[in-house]
Amino acid sequence: MKKRTISGTVAATAAVAMLALAGCSTTPAPAPTPTAAGPEDITFWLIGGDTPQALRDYLVDQYEEVNGGTLTIEEQGWGDVLTKLQTQLPDAANTPDVTEIGNTWSPTFTSVGAFSDITDLVPELGGDSLLPSFVEVGEVDGKNYALPYYFGSRYNFYRKDLYAAAGVEVPKTLGEFAENAAKLTTPELSGFYIGGSDWRNGISWIFAYGGDLAKNEGGTWKSTLSDPKSIEGLEALQDLYTTSSHAPVTEFDSTPWVNINDNEATGQPEAATIIAPGWAHWSIGDLTPDPADATKTVATWNDDVFGTFVLPGVDGGVAPVFAGGSNIGISAASTHQAGARDLLRIIFSPEYQQMLGENGLGPANLDYTSSLGDDQFAKALAESAAGSKLTPAAPGWAAVEGSGLLEEFFGKVNGGGDIAALAAEYDAKIDELING
Amino acid sequence: MSGVLVRRRARPAPYLLLIPAILVLLLGMGYPVVWQITTSFQEFGLAQQFGKPAEWVGLQNYIGLATDPQFWAVLARSIAFCIVGAAATVIIGTALALLMTRVPAAIRLTLQVSLLLAWAMPIVAAMTVWIWLFDRRRGAVNYVLGLLGIDMHRYDWLSNPWTFFLVAGVIVVWMSVPFVAFSVYAGLTQVSDEVIEAASLDGANAWQRFRLVIAPLIAPVLSIVLVLNLIWDLRVFTHFTFLQDAGGKSSEFDVLGTYIYKVGAGAGDFGTSAAVSILTLAITILLSWFYVRQTIKEDKAS
Repeated sequence: MKKRTISGTVAATAAVAMLALAGCSTTPAPAPTPTAAGPEDITFWLIGGDTPQALRDYLVDQYEEVNGGTLTIEEQGWGDVLTKLQTQLPDAANTPDVTEIGNTWSPTFTSVGAFSDITDLVPELGGDSLLPSFVEVGEVDGKNYALPYYFGSRYNFYRKDLYAAAGVEVPKTLGEFAENAAKLTTPELSGFYIGGSDWRNGISWIFAYGGDLAKNEGGTWKSTLSDPKSIEGLEALQDLYTTSSHAPVTEFDSTPWVNINDNEATGQPEAATIIAPGWAHWSIGDLTPDPADATKTVATWNDDVFGTFVLPGVDGGVAPVFAGGSNIGISAASTHQAGARDLLRIIFSPEYQQMLGENGLGPANLDYTSSLGDDQFAKALAESAAGSKLTPAAPGWAAVEGSGLLEEFFGKVNGGGDIAALAAEYDAKIDELING
Repeated sequence: MSGVLVRRRARPAPYLLLIPAILVLLLGMGYPVVWQITTSFQEFGLAQQFGKPAEWVGLQNYIGLATDPQFWAVLARSIAFCIVGAAATVIIGTALALLMTRVPAAIRLTLQVSLLLAWAMPIVAAMTVWIWLFDRRRGAVNYVLGLLGIDMHRYDWLSNPWTFFLVAGVIVVWMSVPFVAFSVYAGLTQVSDEVIEAASLDGANAWQRFRLVIAPLIAPVLSIVLVLNLIWDLRVFTHFTFLQDAGGKSSEFDVLGTYIYKVGAGAGDFGTSAAVSILTLAITILLSWFYVRQTIKEDKAS
């Protein structure tokens, strides 16, 4: 589509086939770190801008050192990568050799055989120390196909100045959160800015009220939006959106931090509170022109103005938010299996795991979580991650996401629709897709 | 007479000359169309995409569509959009062409250059600018309407299906008007001044001259640009994808093109998606067939 790359050269195909064979014959032995397969040029898809440039450079350098080949990192957008994965992963000529993949899509892709079996590599990559819930979604019949890449979690960012001016405190319960948001809201300011179709954040309300998106009944998945508890959560969300968010009802994949920072035109923020993945803090703060590029600005976090808190639960404590993060896998169609395995070894190396944590991304290997540090962001990340939940590990879940049904459903709920009727309607639609 | 016919039939040259075109068509279109038709009769999902053998399901994909109110809504919306869009394009294009015949050379040139620029603008660039124009926060459209005293405070054009389709229509018409204007202008240059003059002398006013004299003379041009625009507007995809990314993603904003993409590449149901494509193709063929028959009739009549 927009960006299409042909990894590897046609001329090298024959050589590659031989290398792949060589790679296979060496794998049964507990392989010494770098494979003897020879240099291979491989492509690695990262999704979104979460992985900082320094980490990318590290991967490229290390790969060249270990393998001798060139690693090309291509950044895909979260918006259209799902469709690209569906069409390019099966195609040996166009597939990335290694790809990041949304954790919630892992069951779909592993169950159709999109990824290579890397069970033999797991002990070397961290074994039991790897984040278990993410390992599970990448597993079929006890074999590992996709492993965790990093985990994140969502928490709130708020404007201390606006909270003080409105005389509200950091909320202790979800009810208080909604009351505060309503109090902060003016025609120019959203007390809590959330897109009407932003289901990834919206589901926290379903979770918080004890509901869920789907449940597994004897091997068959059923959408549970109509569950009374889910409905209760959706009612709370609808109420909150209606009273406190000026975001369009169609907004689904927003960059909410632009709203909590001062708007360049007015000098005022447009949101008093947002919820965002932890790494958003790099984009939040006082804006100054970027010395490297005059058309851009850099945000410097300012503790006097900005603060963080985790989304509180209905009765206090921590609300279960959507467990963000990614898995990673080797494309089964890749003709560079050996090179791809080299890259995984680098990614799961102590050095890289440490770097992930230092950059605010939860490392796949839990032995390195201390690398996240102990600042407020690390604490909020750990605290919110503790209660976080994954979307259903159903084989058709990626199709549910890809169909846009969730955006549509949340948009209609927040647009003021009849929740019970909508929930029944979309339960039926989701049930058609969720079992693959 | 019959001798000529016999000799014509025996001549191989015209058929030989057709071969390259047919070969290119078969190579370029044949495989995708055959794949599309086969897939539309199969259960073809993500598992099949990754190598599992596909199962024949007969007409099941088509039956599924026929009983899906959402599909009918998309189809109706697409057809309404293509009729309104094509009609508006042809009317505005023809009006501009008539204008070109009446204005001094300098103005005509300016008009033609601006039209050419709109026509030549890459779609990505054009869409980016249009989306900025309609941006709810800083868009020029809301700003200008505000200056005119209409309060558009943060009005989000792309979150309501009606205004969404209005914006889409404006953009699609804007992009296809130049083609119509130039084609019709070329047609108008073939209408001889004597005929128009004679009509004026007989007392025909401007509207009568256009309706009774000019329009019938340029009817072949008008009908082909109309059919082409109907086909283009029926299959419109890129504009809507861009607008959906900027605005709403839900099914009320879908036309056939985005619906096919969503069902296939999004939800991974390539079988149903292929069935929708085949139906779209059928409608397109129907439209073209109507046009071809019309031209054959005209050829015979003249």
